[in-house]
Amino acid sequence: MGEVVNITVNGAAFEAEKGSLLIDKLLDENIHIPHFCYHQALGKDGNCRMCMVEIEGQKRPQIACDTPIKAGMEVRTKGENIEKVRRDILELELINHPIDCPTCDQAGECKLQDYYMESGFYESRVNVDAKTHHAKRIDLGSNVMLDRERCVLCTRCTRFCSDITKTNELAVLGRSDHSYIGTFPGRPLDNPYAMNVVDLCPVGALTSKDFRFKQRVWFMNSFDAICNGCSKGCNITVDHRKEKYKNDEIFRFRPRRNDAINGFFMCDEGRLSYHGENENRFTTPLLEHNESNNEDIIANIFKYLSTSKELLFLIGPNLSTEEMKNINNLASKLNVTISGYSPDTLDEFFGDDYLKNKDRATNRASFKKIGINEDEAYFKKSLNSASVVMIIDNTYFENNLALLEGKRIISLFSHTCKVVEKSDVALPIASFYEKTGTYTNCDGIEQRVVSKMKKDNGALTITTVLENLKDMIGKGKL
Amino acid sequence: MNPNEMIVKIVSKNFDIPNSHTLDVALKNGRYESIDKLFTMDPDDVTEEVCKSGLRGKGGGGAACGPKWKLMPPLDERPRYLIANGDESEPGTFKDRQIFQYDPHLLIEGIICSSYAIGAHDCFIYIRGEYKFFIDRLNAAIEEAYAAGIIGEKVMNKYDYRMNITVHRGGGAYICGEKSALIESIEGKRGHPRLKPHGKECEWFFGQPATVNNVETIASVPNIVLNGYESYTKYGTEKAPGTMLFAMSGPVKNPGVYELQYGCKMTDVIEQIGGGMKEGLKLKAVIPGGASCPILTAEEVDKAYLDYETMWSIGSTLGTGGMMIIPEGVSMVDVAKNLIEFYHHESCGQCTPCREGCGWIDTIIKRILDGKGTVSDLTTILDVCETMNGKTVCVFAPAVKDIIKSLVQKYRDEFVSYIETTEKQGDAING
Amino acid sequence: MGKFSYTQENEKEFERILKKYPNSDAMMLPGLWLVQEQEGWVSPDAMVFMADRLGKSPIEVHSFASFYTMFNLEPIGTYHIELCKTLSCMIMGAPELKKYVKETLGISPGETSADGKFHFSEVECQGACGGAPMIALNHTYHENLTVEKLENIIKGCK
Repeated sequence: MGEVVNITVNGAAFEAEKGSLLIDKLLDENIHIPHFCYHQALGKDGNCRMCMVEIEGQKRPQIACDTPIKAGMEVRTKGENIEKVRRDILELELINHPIDCPTCDQAGECKLQDYYMESGFYESRVNVDAKTHHAKRIDLGSNVMLDRERCVLCTRCTRFCSDITKTNELAVLGRSDHSYIGTFPGRPLDNPYAMNVVDLCPVGALTSKDFRFKQRVWFMNSFDAICNGCSKGCNITVDHRKEKYKNDEIFRFRPRRNDAINGFFMCDEGRLSYHGENENRFTTPLLEHNESNNEDIIANIFKYLSTSKELLFLIGPNLSTEEMKNINNLASKLNVTISGYSPDTLDEFFGDDYLKNKDRATNRASFKKIGINEDEAYFKKSLNSASVVMIIDNTYFENNLALLEGKRIISLFSHTCKVVEKSDVALPIASFYEKTGTYTNCDGIEQRVVSKMKKDNGALTITTVLENLKDMIGKGKL
Repeated sequence: MNPNEMIVKIVSKNFDIPNSHTLDVALKNGRYESIDKLFTMDPDDVTEEVCKSGLRGKGGGGAACGPKWKLMPPLDERPRYLIANGDESEPGTFKDRQIFQYDPHLLIEGIICSSYAIGAHDCFIYIRGEYKFFIDRLNAAIEEAYAAGIIGEKVMNKYDYRMNITVHRGGGAYICGEKSALIESIEGKRGHPRLKPHGKECEWFFGQPATVNNVETIASVPNIVLNGYESYTKYGTEKAPGTMLFAMSGPVKNPGVYELQYGCKMTDVIEQIGGGMKEGLKLKAVIPGGASCPILTAEEVDKAYLDYETMWSIGSTLGTGGMMIIPEGVSMVDVAKNLIEFYHHESCGQCTPCREGCGWIDTIIKRILDGKGTVSDLTTILDVCETMNGKTVCVFAPAVKDIIKSLVQKYRDEFVSYIETTEKQGDAING
Repeated sequence: MGKFSYTQENEKEFERILKKYPNSDAMMLPGLWLVQEQEGWVSPDAMVFMADRLGKSPIEVHSFASFYTMFNLEPIGTYHIELCKTLSCMIMGAPELKKYVKETLGISPGETSADGKFHFSEVECQGACGGAPMIALNHTYHENLTVEKLENIIKGCK
């Protein structure tokens, strides 16, 4: 941290680090500063000219992204002069921009739209049929669609591919106002973080092929969460919507800024993992392979817990810390062995030196914190002597079903799987994004997810199930 | 002034000598005479001499050369570079090619002097790609110089100063004449000008200190080194001492390049050196310093003197000194279309105001030419010019504003008359 | 269309020029000029070649080449006629020459003649304003043109 100096912005006083970028200060203080090409992860490019501000003593407006903070600087982002400058530059951004809003996915979260509405720019003196024309539906690869007419050439996407992923698939081609973004024939956009360019693009030039035409953004609700694709726990925003007569469904994940974990980005696999959330849901409780109901199932589980001699709880590393603690307490109370053995979530090929971690589990770190044994030997010994195995969101047996021969199986899962089908008692439970919980990531950072989904699929959370069981245990009877 | 007083041959001294470009003839006619004097001086003293001479950059900007050299950081272990700007693409400008063609050894001599002054051992001469003949000629001269030991590990076979010179052929982009875009281009990138530093500093070539000078500026240095600053200041004006290669094009009797001292009266130059307008033609306007200058009407031409300060005082600029002479009978609407097309093609496209503004003005003027223009279009053009002015990464956009704004303002009547006439014609056709 | 490679001569030339620069990135322009002088244009295969040479990705080479007017990204005719269209040439008669080319060779700017012999372009100021109007024929300047002189030049193209 360098020398701290005083500046004013629109008359209000602020402290800022001398030499740091003015735009960073404005963004950090939530002072509205329109911009396209600047991004705090990519740095400045100085090409859009939208972030112009007035600086007292300077003849010309300056771009905030290339203005170092000086002591006593007086900055104006509002006022007749600078607002006219901004409008004029916005007018030029709009010159060749197609009027695609009615069919453009970006509508509702488009910077160009936002600035246009702010400027009150309703009278156009642009001759529509004089706009430049370009290809509009280019599949760049990796689920990214390019519409060249909408592009404002901010170069955020090309800089992402050159500076962040260092894969260099995208570049500006041509010159002047015939410039456009493109890939090389036979070399599509192809890196594990490619879809971040969709978020980076301030307009609808780069859109997600996966999300294309699915929802208007203003119909969706959002809540903060973390990705459950690996133990990095990248911060995300879950966009979901409960349409009439339908279930509350997740339509996309977007990365959320967390400077301590994922910065501004997330990997594509994590981004698309919401599909896994929606698909293959286990919905109807099964008792001896026949359809049943929650009450009967819980009663049956209680019967097994109270009568069985050798029990083993096998829990998965994606459960929340609270769930793990609760199950651990129950296990202690009932004197039942509990194991967190789950080597199947480790994927040597998934990890990289950026965000992707080779452990695909969300909360393994909590096993150690709580004291739940993950040991292979301990697990194998316990499994051997167990006659009843209660599997809670652990996928180890998916490829090892034979190990469960001769045992009674109780399973609690949100999604269907072979174990559910083989179980004697199977109870659907709320999925990761339908519950509230705390998770500790691979770097020991604890994060809390509070779901806002309104599911009416009847699935109970593990917490509710355990409360019911505790009740029954307390009352000592069925 | 008469031609003998106006014409002063410093840089162009050897141009008329047959085979002046060969080393043999060049050596017989004074080439490399300044080198012995050069190496008796301290590099800083060379810079001082150039400062005192008032030598100003001949690439269009007119910034003082000596003070620019002083922006180089103090000598340290980092390599330093001199980059000669031979991108000469400003319409109306065709003077640097004369040096390549007729006295390439003068340029080499100037490079040695300038490099020594700033501590550079490598010079890259960036020449526009279209100048194939001139590049070949310069390369031949450089080869001669290497073979004769004039440059290479030593200078003139005796001075322990490594001097390497390489010609770098451009690919056809006017914007690469902008010094930071030029460096980007040599560095293997698109010619996008760089954001300007907040204080005065040298240029950076692959991260190392560099100075960019126009070819003619460098060619002016040997004379100052050999004969002292007064040999330069005795010509020209107080603020614009010395000479420049001025060019005239258009329908004058003697178009071409002439080395004149600064401060000559423009009409004297056009009449006496240019020979005046061709038979039957009358002068309508002059764009004085390459296209990127406010145009001068015939009345304004009468008040013009060829130095930076006087041109500023009459609302124009001297630029590269390439006078484009426009005769009566040429429509200013056509001139405007012709020039905005140039800028539209040549904009690098990096920043919004220039990229979109040039295209928009081009479209509007095309619409006017097609008979669909309105008088409010002229206001729009001026507005767009204002938006482009002072809000972009480089001075390309202000250059567009300079010429286009001056055309639309000074010849407004002509534009309005064109619009109204073609409107009437349109009505007549459509009934 | 197979992979691109330099002729032995050009390979040597590339290496010779490379030594003059502190960084191989500077070989973009000289390297591409060698390509175009060898093949007449810069093909996608040549871009892949150049990219490998300089440690870049092919799209970066394409991005570079597409910025500069003189690099042909498609093959053109044997003779490239480039007519300057900027102000002094326009005033001194370029439009007449353009009309002449259209009438005799049947091509407008951007087009190649049917026999593949001539490609015609309109270019911006070539730095020959004192010799206006002018053309560049395969990069050689022909200044102070008249329709007759242009006729002779075109006839001289075998």
